[in-house]
Amino acid sequence: MDKATVELLARRAGLEKALQEFPDDVTAAAEQASGWVAKMQAPREPRTEPWPPMKPGTGL
Amino acid sequence: MSGLHWLSAAEAAEAIRARKLSPVELTQALLDRIERLDPKLHVFIRLDRDAALEAARGAEAEIAAGRPRGPLHGVPVGIKDIIDVAGLPTTCHSKILIDNIAAADAVCVSRLRGAGAIVLGKLSTHEFAIGGPSFDLPWPPARNPWNTAHHPGGSSSGSGSGVAVGLFPMALGSDTGGSVRNPASACGIVGLKPSYGLVSRRGVFPLSFSLDHVGPLTRTVSDNALMLDAIAGHDPLDPGSAAVPPGHYTAGLERGVRGLRIGFIRHFHETDLPADPEVAAGLENVAATLQKLGADIRDIRLPTLGEFGAVNRVILQSEAWAIHAPWLRERPGDYGQLARRRLLGGAFIGAGDYVQASRRRLEMIAAVENALREVDVLMCASAMDPPSRIEDAAETERTYPRQARTPFNVTGHPALAMMAGLSAAGLPLSVQFVARYFGEGMLFQVARAWERAAGTDERHPPID
Repeated sequence: MDKATVELLARRAGLEKALQEFPDDVTAAAEQASGWVAKMQAPREPRTEPWPPMKPGTGL
Repeated sequence: MSGLHWLSAAEAAEAIRARKLSPVELTQALLDRIERLDPKLHVFIRLDRDAALEAARGAEAEIAAGRPRGPLHGVPVGIKDIIDVAGLPTTCHSKILIDNIAAADAVCVSRLRGAGAIVLGKLSTHEFAIGGPSFDLPWPPARNPWNTAHHPGGSSSGSGSGVAVGLFPMALGSDTGGSVRNPASACGIVGLKPSYGLVSRRGVFPLSFSLDHVGPLTRTVSDNALMLDAIAGHDPLDPGSAAVPPGHYTAGLERGVRGLRIGFIRHFHETDLPADPEVAAGLENVAATLQKLGADIRDIRLPTLGEFGAVNRVILQSEAWAIHAPWLRERPGDYGQLARRRLLGGAFIGAGDYVQASRRRLEMIAAVENALREVDVLMCASAMDPPSRIEDAAETERTYPRQARTPFNVTGHPALAMMAGLSAAGLPLSVQFVARYFGEGMLFQVARAWERAAGTDERHPPID
């Protein structure tokens, strides 16, 4: 993720203060997060549902 | 009685019931030990000495009146400081919540008190149960009693260190990516992440709603089962709580492993994240011992640790961001650097990524369920390395993700980590067992067989 994208996403998330005071931490966090996303394999089967599911009639 | 600090919870409770040991005598002995050792170990954030002694006197009076509360009557316990204890701060080891006084006990604490346990105080953690050992927080990080230059694991660091060194026989921790099992592994004790939903999370500060578990840390398998007996059970006010009948976890401890099928997930430590040779040898020794005891050891394959880890982190960081975003926007400087870096990550993960991780999670659950149709229990590494040196940030950063615990936060299966032996340097090595949903009884059965064969419950840190 390039610097401009990191800053854009950080500002969109309301992280102006963090960007100003801890720019290295914001960059490191963005790099780490994009690394995790890149390592994840999306399901190939389109009907695979997310877990946990919506379960009406149970719980609170 | 002498050597009270090495009594197990079960032994202490039995002696108290038989009026051979006073809860006041036991509590005072542990408080004295805490006073002596905690300055080296930093286990406690808040020691509640007066309340503990008052509770011990109450417990003594109840025993004298023939009114024992339950199976843990008069036994002291430590509570990780993300778990509410009424009247005490729940700081999460953070400046952010330094003045956050809990109005009520968390359900798990309330259940321990109902069983007769005595709360000693609040224990060190990684900030908000994430990050790592940090030196820029209001309290120092806990240290490993096997060698105080080393990390005790985390995030339930104080829970692991304090149990191992005999400051209390049992503690509560929480586990979102391995935070009960990591300190259990690093400190050579027994740590259980129960099935998702078995223990209420109400009153526990969340890190990641769908990955968080509360679990017991103890020196013996039997105590772990005893503690789970006390804290397990449906809580209608915890949306993730499972409506399953409570187990009687101490009942089948001594059944042994003869005839059990144990699936050994070797690729976790052989190819996914090649383990330190001593760790690998320790795991093979556990497998060989269980085989000698009559178990059928088989190889099992699951998705790789890299895949499990990515799904865990995408879900964890997304859910944690939802919790911490307001503070990260307004007070980023009030977090330590490690937690700030980890928690900011959620701002850079898209909604679609989170949903994809949640969908991949279902496939991973199916993979573990399929494996558990072939075998009764799974066995694998917990940590790939002995505990790192706590002040070597680079070594800690390198070794921290080298673990096989996150898969079972993703899937919610019960998983127990315990000592597999000691390294040449005298640091604990570990093994992990995993069972079917709500199969904690089977986990304890296998763990007890290993404990009995290896005598892991009799090995204590050489600190005094």
